[in-house]
Amino acid sequence: MSFRPFAAPGINFLRPVRVLKTESFRSAALFATLFLILSWVLLGVVYWIVNGTQTAALIGAVDADISTIRNGYREKGLPEAIEVVQQRLGSGDYSGADLPGGYILLQDQASGRLAGNLPPLDFRPGLFSFPAPRKSKHDSAMVLGRGVYVTPGVYLFVGRDTSQITATRARILKAFGWIEAASIVLAALGGIFFSVQFMRRIDAITRTCQAIIAGRFNDRIALRGSGDELDRLSVAINNMLDRISTLLDNLRQVSSDIAHDLRTPLTHLRNRLEEARQKSVTTADYAAVVAHAIEDTDHLLVIFAALLRISQIESGSRLAAFSTLSMSELLERIYEMYRPVAEDEQHMLVHDIQPDVRIRGDAELLTQLFSNVIENAIRHTPPGARIRISLRESGNAVVAAVEDNGPGIPTGEHEKVFRRFYRLTSSRSTPGNGLGLALVAAIANLHHAKMELGDNRPGLRFQASFPSGQRA
Amino acid sequence: MNILLVEDDVELAQSVGDHFREHGFAVQHCADGESGLASACAGDHQVIILDRMLPRLDGLSLVRKLRERRVLTPVIYLTTMSGIDDRVQGLEAGGDDYLVKPFAFAELLARVRVLSRRPATANEPAIRLALGSIELDLLKRSVQRAGRDIELLPQEFRLLEYLMRNPDRVLTRRMLLENVWGIHFDPQTSVVESHISRLRAKVNHGFEFDVIQTIRGTGYKFLAPG
Repeated sequence: MSFRPFAAPGINFLRPVRVLKTESFRSAALFATLFLILSWVLLGVVYWIVNGTQTAALIGAVDADISTIRNGYREKGLPEAIEVVQQRLGSGDYSGADLPGGYILLQDQASGRLAGNLPPLDFRPGLFSFPAPRKSKHDSAMVLGRGVYVTPGVYLFVGRDTSQITATRARILKAFGWIEAASIVLAALGGIFFSVQFMRRIDAITRTCQAIIAGRFNDRIALRGSGDELDRLSVAINNMLDRISTLLDNLRQVSSDIAHDLRTPLTHLRNRLEEARQKSVTTADYAAVVAHAIEDTDHLLVIFAALLRISQIESGSRLAAFSTLSMSELLERIYEMYRPVAEDEQHMLVHDIQPDVRIRGDAELLTQLFSNVIENAIRHTPPGARIRISLRESGNAVVAAVEDNGPGIPTGEHEKVFRRFYRLTSSRSTPGNGLGLALVAAIANLHHAKMELGDNRPGLRFQASFPSGQRA
Repeated sequence: MNILLVEDDVELAQSVGDHFREHGFAVQHCADGESGLASACAGDHQVIILDRMLPRLDGLSLVRKLRERRVLTPVIYLTTMSGIDDRVQGLEAGGDDYLVKPFAFAELLARVRVLSRRPATANEPAIRLALGSIELDLLKRSVQRAGRDIELLPQEFRLLEYLMRNPDRVLTRRMLLENVWGIHFDPQTSVVESHISRLRAKVNHGFEFDVIQTIRGTGYKFLAPG
């Protein structure tokens, strides 16, 4: 699996506009927007809570002073109230070095201000605010406080500068502003980063596809190994490509088989006919040649049919016709079918078939698979051989086996006998086309069966393990 | 006996037609699907021999249309479409038999002869099948010849049943494989011969007359014993 850059004309990789158009960038933008909306809501809540708490604390302090001054008045009269006001103004709450400070005003209708650090006010009771007379850091500093009548005609106002509250509000807004700016930048960068990553990988897939279109059939998409969705897609595409290339190989194989292996019998046929034209004299001569020629042609047709059947099976189109079937009954039937044949050849055919074993498969093809194997055993063993058909289910596998005690096959040839047109030296003299076991292999593969040839000491053991029918 | 041959390969049609005429058949030939359908609906044929790939109307559609119009003339396909599924498709469309090209004429002749008496007796459900002195009880799966019981294995019984459903007609090796064993490939061993020889020995045991006649190079024929 090699990675080769492949730039087709007209394709510009990683163009900025393309980045903005990718799905990952769009989702990043969407999530950033959602995050912003949420943070605005959060800002509102924090702002409201902080503002409310600070205001309540301010009003609490104001009300405490009001009640102290009132108590003074109630106990010892107006001079005491004035005294308390003076004391309060002298305390740190009102005259600390750190502004904002507090404001008190005690006034009566007749003489105006009695005590305090505010110019006279309208006689207005209740909570209200007004611009601070002492300009502090903030031009917009305000005084918030409460006005009450200590006694009819004597008005008291206690208030505090609100610039601290204002400053806190400003800090909150500022902090949120930074956070939001940072998240927008991060979201944009992240979106671009992920889009570029995503597009790189999409481009890798595209490049592989282009390479295959250009004829490099062995190219595959490189995996990251993270097992994410793009990797899974790439694996699926790679598997699909593998399957296609297997089919292609098959097709090539069949064509070359036809080209090579049909040429020999066709040459024979042609030579025979040509010889007949030159040498035959009597009608009987001709009849013999014609009979021979028909035989040759039939042999050719059989090879043709077998090749077509193999390639058809390998194409996998039969998978659709799979059903759950009783392997036990199928093998019993085959046993019954071949028992007389074996007897006629002086063989003994025996069976040991576990009942009610089911697999998923194609009954017609499976019948052909085991017929071919059993026929091979019958035809390639000397008279008196014992052939045993067995079936058992163990764990997740259904194992069907055909064993004989004939001459067997040399271990080195076990793999080769499943190839098309491969024939053992020892069996070249018996009729056959070398396609029987190739067909067996094709059918077994279609059923995901594992085939094994083994030494039966003496003889040959053919074994096919199918996945059990319950699971498949 | 009338045969309708729908086949666009003129050379093949000529040769097949000549062969059938030699065997005493009347053969009508159509070279495309549409005229084939028209002739099949109009004429009185015992069997229709039908190519699958035809100009104008393909064989499969032709059979479907024929069956829709309640024309039940037996149809045998004669086709190069040798796929494993092709046969199933052809039979599901309403055909009765399927023969892949290239073929031996004897095979086609045997199949046409068997089809020509359908659907009168072949394949009809029956409880008993009696020909001459041989009796088959299809429920009990038992056989008697002249009142004497004959023990048969299941596959032998099915073989005898198929032979007796088509008496006096040549049944080829491939027809037996398809109809008795349900297999559509050519075994490389003498499956049919071995079973026939055992059946023959059992059915003829103690009798002079051989009910199974061997037709050399072609197949077998059941002859009802007196």
